[in-house]
Amino acid sequence: MAKKTYDLLFKLLLIGDSGVGKTCVLFRFSDDAFNTTFISTIGIDFKIKTVELQGKKIKLQIWDTAGQERFHTITTSYYRGAMGIMLVYDITNGKSFENISKWLRNIDEHANEDVERMLLGNKCDMEDKRVVPKGKGEQIAREHGIRFFETSAKANINIEKAFLTLAEDILRKTPVKEPNSENVDISSGGGVTGWKSKCC
Amino acid sequence: MDQSVAIQETLAEGEYCIIAVQGVLCEGDSRQSRLLGLVRYRLEHGGQEHALFLYTHRRMAITGDDVCLDQIVPVSRDFTLEEVSSDGELYILGSDVTVQLDTAELSLTFQLPFGSHTRMFLQEVARACPGLDPATRDPEFQWLSRYRCTEMEPLPRGGNSALGTWPGCARIGGGRYPSGEGRWGLEEARLQGWALLCVGGVVMELPGFLLAEAAAGADPWGSAGGAVRRRDEELEEAAEMSAAAGSRDRDSSGGSHLDNLRPNGKGLFVDQSSRGQDKPENLLTRQTKSKLEITDMVRSSTITVSDKAHILSMQKFGLRETLVKSYLMQKEEDYTYIQNFRFFVGTYNVNGQSPKECLQPWLSHGIQAPDVYCVGFQELDLSKEAFFFHDTPKEEEWFKAVSESLHPDAKYAKVKFIRLVGIMLLLYVKQEHAAHISEVEAETVGTGIMGRMGNKGGVAIRFKFHNTSICVVNSHLAAHTEEYERRNQDYKDICSRMQFCQVDPSLPPLTISKHDVILWLGDLNYRIEELDVEKVKKLIEEKDFQTLYAYDQLKTQVAAKAVFEGFTEGELTFQPTYKYDTGSDEWDTSEKCRAPAWCDRILWKGKNITQLSYQSHMALKTSDHKPVSSEFDIGVRVKNEELYRKTLEEIVRSLDKMENANIPSVSLSKLEFCFQNVKYMQLQVESFTIHNGQVPCQFEFINKPGEESYCRQWLNANPSKGFLLPDSAIEIELEIFVTKTMATKLNSGEDKIEDILVLHLDRGKDYFLSVSGNYVPSCFGSPIHTLCYMREPISDLPLETVRELTLMPLWTEDDGSQLENPMEIPKELWMMVDYLYRNAAQEEDLFQQPGRRLEFEHIRDCLDTGMIENLDTLCILHHSVAEALLLFLESLPEPVICYSAYHNCLECSGNYTASKQVISTLPTFHKNVFNYLLAFLRQLLENSEKNHLDENILASIFGSLLLRNPAGQQKLEMAEKKAQEFIHQFLCNSP
Repeated sequence: MAKKTYDLLFKLLLIGDSGVGKTCVLFRFSDDAFNTTFISTIGIDFKIKTVELQGKKIKLQIWDTAGQERFHTITTSYYRGAMGIMLVYDITNGKSFENISKWLRNIDEHANEDVERMLLGNKCDMEDKRVVPKGKGEQIAREHGIRFFETSAKANINIEKAFLTLAEDILRKTPVKEPNSENVDISSGGGVTGWKSKCC
Repeated sequence: MDQSVAIQETLAEGEYCIIAVQGVLCEGDSRQSRLLGLVRYRLEHGGQEHALFLYTHRRMAITGDDVCLDQIVPVSRDFTLEEVSSDGELYILGSDVTVQLDTAELSLTFQLPFGSHTRMFLQEVARACPGLDPATRDPEFQWLSRYRCTEMEPLPRGGNSALGTWPGCARIGGGRYPSGEGRWGLEEARLQGWALLCVGGVVMELPGFLLAEAAAGADPWGSAGGAVRRRDEELEEAAEMSAAAGSRDRDSSGGSHLDNLRPNGKGLFVDQSSRGQDKPENLLTRQTKSKLEITDMVRSSTITVSDKAHILSMQKFGLRETLVKSYLMQKEEDYTYIQNFRFFVGTYNVNGQSPKECLQPWLSHGIQAPDVYCVGFQELDLSKEAFFFHDTPKEEEWFKAVSESLHPDAKYAKVKFIRLVGIMLLLYVKQEHAAHISEVEAETVGTGIMGRMGNKGGVAIRFKFHNTSICVVNSHLAAHTEEYERRNQDYKDICSRMQFCQVDPSLPPLTISKHDVILWLGDLNYRIEELDVEKVKKLIEEKDFQTLYAYDQLKTQVAAKAVFEGFTEGELTFQPTYKYDTGSDEWDTSEKCRAPAWCDRILWKGKNITQLSYQSHMALKTSDHKPVSSEFDIGVRVKNEELYRKTLEEIVRSLDKMENANIPSVSLSKLEFCFQNVKYMQLQVESFTIHNGQVPCQFEFINKPGEESYCRQWLNANPSKGFLLPDSAIEIELEIFVTKTMATKLNSGEDKIEDILVLHLDRGKDYFLSVSGNYVPSCFGSPIHTLCYMREPISDLPLETVRELTLMPLWTEDDGSQLENPMEIPKELWMMVDYLYRNAAQEEDLFQQPGRRLEFEHIRDCLDTGMIENLDTLCILHHSVAEALLLFLESLPEPVICYSAYHNCLECSGNYTASKQVISTLPTFHKNVFNYLLAFLRQLLENSEKNHLDENILASIFGSLLLRNPAGQQKLEMAEKKAQEFIHQFLCNSP
């Protein structure tokens, strides 16, 4: 008999320097596709994908943010309410790796305290252009006590695994609860909101 | 029928059960049978008090042993018992009566059977209510104290202490059950089937038992000890009996396993190790813990639901679930294949007899082991007890008899068991199929006396076998040859009133017709018409069943589409199954001498059904009917799990895709906007287009965090919000316009032409629009002292110098040593005044005519570049220069008469000497400007014959420019008047 499973919604966020491949990582996960043309994300985009974990249907709402520095003050305001943040760097771009600590600070300052973090070293298919050794990524992840994957959106390496792992980590600390949304007024508010839904 | 006798046996001296009624206690979704007894107690000093005693009860509440006190509700002043109509339900004559019991502490809902007895009960209760007459004493219910726990506080109020009183004693007053799970009424448990008795420990959970056990030896339960003992014995017996009866069943453990699969979780398969041994204390701690957990859940859920996006999607998920289901249904053929299963369907009217012979000839002889057994009985028990109390020992006997006679080549698991008085239906499947049975529901519909009672009617079990929904109906329709229309009506009533709950409570209940396969069996009671008994018997002897069949009522009624529409019946190749002398194959020899008839029939409806046999079984002689059986091969849709998973994944993927495609998305013709050389009060516009995608969308520029507007003061988007239809576009203009309030900060570099706009789509993405540019500093918006230090035109100065000078504090002049010879007044002011003095002193309506916008821009450029000669050569309106002068004064960040002197000026307006004194305290440059301007204005007044200016006009124009309220915009008439008066003095008096 089909037990009633409780559906959950996890809001995830992709952050990291411009050009590290955040949009491609998302596109690979949501549409299982890859596009080589680089179009810088100017704004906030999101996609949804439903996954099943431990018999629960979980809807992932994944927010892709603009990586350009000039937008940082704005993008950090989208951190609030994210349950998981994927911090992406490019293994062929040393600067993007150096900025990791800055991004981590951003998370500390702007995201929910209990947000699940994850570090991704993207473009790991480009071994010949690698400048950031895998060990360095592992080390910084270890120092901050977060998970780490080297991924390639292009070669589809570890993308799904990374998202599912992050979702699992969130699920693990999500108390299983009765859905009581019937009692909640849903008429107010326009659904997907960034800082507009600030409640304090 | 009066069960008050049983209750009376449990009562103490002085207590009298006036009337009792059997009802159903409705708590949420749970339905539990309760015996309600109205008990009267005569007080010693006269008068009487009443209480409603609620009992759980055993199958036949004939003696006090059969009932167990569950709860006592004193009939106090706040006690009401009222008939209510349940929400949204049409009142049907003859349907159950729903009553609501309310006191200050509790609220219970009961369903009582329709009829005069219930009416009488309600009347008695109403009579027992003490009413509101203040003259009568408030009832004290001291006599009820015997039912309370001695160690407990008196009457538990509000139900909080109900936990404490349970399970040691009956609860009095309010209080809810700590948990609905793990305990159920006997009635319900019995319906669930025999597994209960196999698992002895479960009975420990029954509140009635706990009550009896705890109360054993206690005062009012003098006989309770005996009751307990008897009950224990019974349990053992029952367990033994069922062990013998359902050995196969139990080996397979399929029965309980299946019940455990029930969606509501009330499976009978109970973990004995934890439950059965639970002591009351353990129960208590468990309850407490779960309560804590619940609070926790509530708390945490409120946190998460504060996220609006979350809520919305929760809502959407309901829709999604439905979509997934309907897509799965649509694509059923992609992931299922048809597989035949052998079904055995049997029906037997046993005429109230107990099983006396082996049922194997009917159920298993000469056939291969079927996959599914559907076995129906009618007239299982003809006793009054069975009719009135819905309970009979026969069901156990026949269940056992059937279980023992199932095909020996296979192990069977009981799926479900349902009985309505004498109509019983049993469903078994081969053990290996048990895991593929789901969504099992059983219901009954009575169509007997008053159209409701269970002496006639139907029972049904519906379930899903693999992916095919199947409904099996066993009915016993109205009797007597002439009553065929009544039979037709019974059939229709069963069809319309038989409703099964769905797993998803939001879905409407299922009816019989909503199933892929319907198997209908039973004593349908249709007779042979228009032939006399002898003729019938003769045809039977000749085995001319075809001729006989022509006179069969069912045949004619089906042909007339009056009943069983869409159903099929196999050819009747056996002789009528009714009516025989019991124990023989002889036709009825009783006085009534009933004509033989094919009462017992099996019909079906649905696809992929092949009937393999349809026969009666003459070997069985227990009843006046012969049993009938039919074998079917039924094509059932079986899931290919791998294909199913694939299909499901595809559906989820396509729904995700759909949802992603439904996220509003637009394309913008431009994301970067650069405004070159933005000048003071010169509008610049850049436009871009929003092209909408396929989803209607609402767009709006939204505020960035911590900001009060979506963009800087000097910027404006037009329109800033709107709605776009699919594939439509809109042009948005970004306008830059710098005015006095922003100019100073742009000069000083405190502000820049730089901004990011956030274009937000409702339920969709956000886009960032970058605005950049450079501002050309102007004398407009520059402070007086800054301009005095600028010996060169502002445009010739490096931006850095402009910045520094603009930020220079007002009172730096005393320290002027570091800076080179400031000018006495801003050269730009001199240029305008000098121009007007030279060219427009006699101009009519000077300062009262508007200038030209474009000419203002020229004047501004002349002033900022120092091209003073251009003013003369450009041939511009004098009025434009006059207006520029006013704009210049207006744009000064610190007015000519400094804000700090404002109030002093107002105070001494009218006192020229004091006024002059205030002017003398102004910073030098401001003082200079004031004196210079006033001197100029007085000059103008000398030409008043030509230019028609007078002191009042000039005072009113310049009053509010030279004297500005530091508080800002609020213009007080009094203050303005005083400001004018202040200027007026200086216009009239030469210094």
